[in-house]
Amino acid sequence: MAKTVLIVEDNELNMKLFHDLLEAHGYHTVGTRNGIEALDLARKHRPDLIIMDIQLPEVSGLEVTKWLKDDPELKSIPVVAVTAFAMKGDEERIREGGCEAYLSKPISVGKFIETVRHFLGTEQRR
Amino acid sequence: MSLFAQIRDYIDSLVHASARPDPLAAARHRAFIAPRLVGGLFALTALPIHLAIGGRPGMLEILFYAWLATPILVACYLSRTGRYEREQLTSSVSLAALVSAVAMATGGITSFAAVWLVVVPLEAALSASRRVVTAASAVALAAAGLLYLIGPQALAAFTPSPVLTTFGIISAALYATGLALGSASLARTGSRLLMVEEDRYRLLARNITDVITRHRRNGTVRFASPAAESLFGVPARALLGHGLFDRVHVGDRPAYLKALADAATQLDSSSVEFRIRRETPPDSDRPAPFIWVEMRCRALDRAEGESAQTEREVVAVMRDVTDRKAQEHAVEDAREEAERANAAKSRFLATMSHELRTPLNAIIGFSEMLANEEPMQLDKSRRHEYATLIGESGQHLLSVVNGILDMSKIESGNFEITPEPFAPAPVIGTCCDLMALRAREAGIDLVCRVPADLPDIVADKRAVKQILINLLSNAIKFTQRGGRVSVRGELSGAEVVFTVEDTGVGIGEDDLRHVGDPFFQVRTAYDRPHDGTGLGLSIVKGLIELHGGELSMRSRLGSGTSVSVRLPIDCEQGRVVDAPSNVERLPLPEPVVLPAETRVRKRA
Repeated sequence: MAKTVLIVEDNELNMKLFHDLLEAHGYHTVGTRNGIEALDLARKHRPDLIIMDIQLPEVSGLEVTKWLKDDPELKSIPVVAVTAFAMKGDEERIREGGCEAYLSKPISVGKFIETVRHFLGTEQRR
Repeated sequence: MSLFAQIRDYIDSLVHASARPDPLAAARHRAFIAPRLVGGLFALTALPIHLAIGGRPGMLEILFYAWLATPILVACYLSRTGRYEREQLTSSVSLAALVSAVAMATGGITSFAAVWLVVVPLEAALSASRRVVTAASAVALAAAGLLYLIGPQALAAFTPSPVLTTFGIISAALYATGLALGSASLARTGSRLLMVEEDRYRLLARNITDVITRHRRNGTVRFASPAAESLFGVPARALLGHGLFDRVHVGDRPAYLKALADAATQLDSSSVEFRIRRETPPDSDRPAPFIWVEMRCRALDRAEGESAQTEREVVAVMRDVTDRKAQEHAVEDAREEAERANAAKSRFLATMSHELRTPLNAIIGFSEMLANEEPMQLDKSRRHEYATLIGESGQHLLSVVNGILDMSKIESGNFEITPEPFAPAPVIGTCCDLMALRAREAGIDLVCRVPADLPDIVADKRAVKQILINLLSNAIKFTQRGGRVSVRGELSGAEVVFTVEDTGVGIGEDDLRHVGDPFFQVRTAYDRPHDGTGLGLSIVKGLIELHGGELSMRSRLGSGTSVSVRLPIDCEQGRVVDAPSNVERLPLPEPVVLPAETRVRKRA
């Protein structure tokens, strides 16, 4: 069975990019633009990995990550922060916030897939 | 150089080093040394004459001469040791002994020489030391008593004569006169020195700008120097008692009292800065200003004879440090301003970085996918779609860059507007049409109300368009699905007012002040709920100012925002640059609570 990736991203185009990239590599995806909804989706779908944007409406990706890591049932799901916050110190702060990995936008497709594979292993192509 | 001056210099050089710094002591030493040297030498010159006339002297005569020479020795001793009181006493004893010896040989207490004993305490009086005078009197009295008890000795056959008695009295009187003159001279020296000292004090008191005060430990003033008048605008006596304390700024009074108490209890000096009221002339209608004063205080040494229990007084020196304080404040303000500017710069860079990276992510990501179309197995429609998305992101990127450029042009004053007459109604209509799609996508009603009779205005058409689009786009961005955004145009005197109202999230009172500052978006940092550069409104503000118009915002958190733009009908008449924007709070009842699931749709 294909592994599931939850994408939390408020920008439509970037959401589409991550969705298409992951689907093309054989992963199943669930997406939301909203941090609060992300928590519900994580409980419902039990994804194997979460791609997390940091700047989101209402609550930040860091806040959502904290909630995830505080939840005993969800805290084992690795969270990869993919964010346009790429100034000095941002990576440290985001990793300290509980994210297992950090990728800055603009992403390199190769690096992105490599990171996903690092957590999920290779999937069968569609 | 005259002989007299030479002698004086020689005698000056004999004064002991310890007495030289004090002019009065030096004068005393001189007055002691000079007559003894002269008198002794004079007595010794009599020796050769005696030898020539009387031949070989007897034992008694040699002793007599030796005695006459003792003052030289005493003077030399003082010159070497500087111990004035002891030498004065030695001299008294020596004189008393000489007088006694002569008197004994010439008839005891009735001798012509006995009257010289009166001179002994007189001579000691020159020392101005009570101890020496007492001791010298005792010596003289003892010598007189001895003469009475022992009576005439040796040359008992000596017959007293009135001539000798007269000689004795006259010589003693002359010597006493000499002593009196010396004493008068010393007194003159003393008072001259006192006047010099007083002049020096007066010089200080008149020219020093610092105020010197003496305080009791509880802060009451017992003395204030005349400089108080120029510093505080009141005579020094007005500061006495509680006069100074009453002028100290209420907030600084504890520090003022603490500094005085500290100085009184600890032996260290203490320092404090406080504000104090300076009196203004009575005809001035301005309130008395406060000046900053620095006060250094330290405990006065206890006067001789005061017990350790008596309260120590404190002497304080106050000076005006208002200018320095003002400079310190200016430096502090400049530093804060620089820090604010620096923080704004960092925030700007972080925001710009974020806003540029977001569309770049889509551009680079999709183009990498296109470049790898084989392994990605992209069909034609996919490739077409990706190319379209790259184009859209590029357009967005361009608008961000243009916004930055516009803003920097406005900020640096390089933004040129080209006013032209046009009808505003169609322009508002066009803007509404442009934004209609986005409003529909976001599930928001967009209402446009413009009266047909709105007159033509003279303004930069492109700028007016941009103002309206930016305002509408903000209103749509910050309004939740199901909300309403309306735009209105109306005539108000010589101005046209465009109003954009929404039922969106609103802006808090604190943030309202900063809205429109470049790159400011309410809530910065990672939890910034909306993307965007925060440039839109500051560009709007800049463009309105270029037209001599005015922007006003009224908002309440959770209830919506109303933005009004007032533009003069003809912006070329009476253009006012830098008109302040007016922001006020809208008194709305019952804040509307946002539904938890709010979605604000945005374009990339």
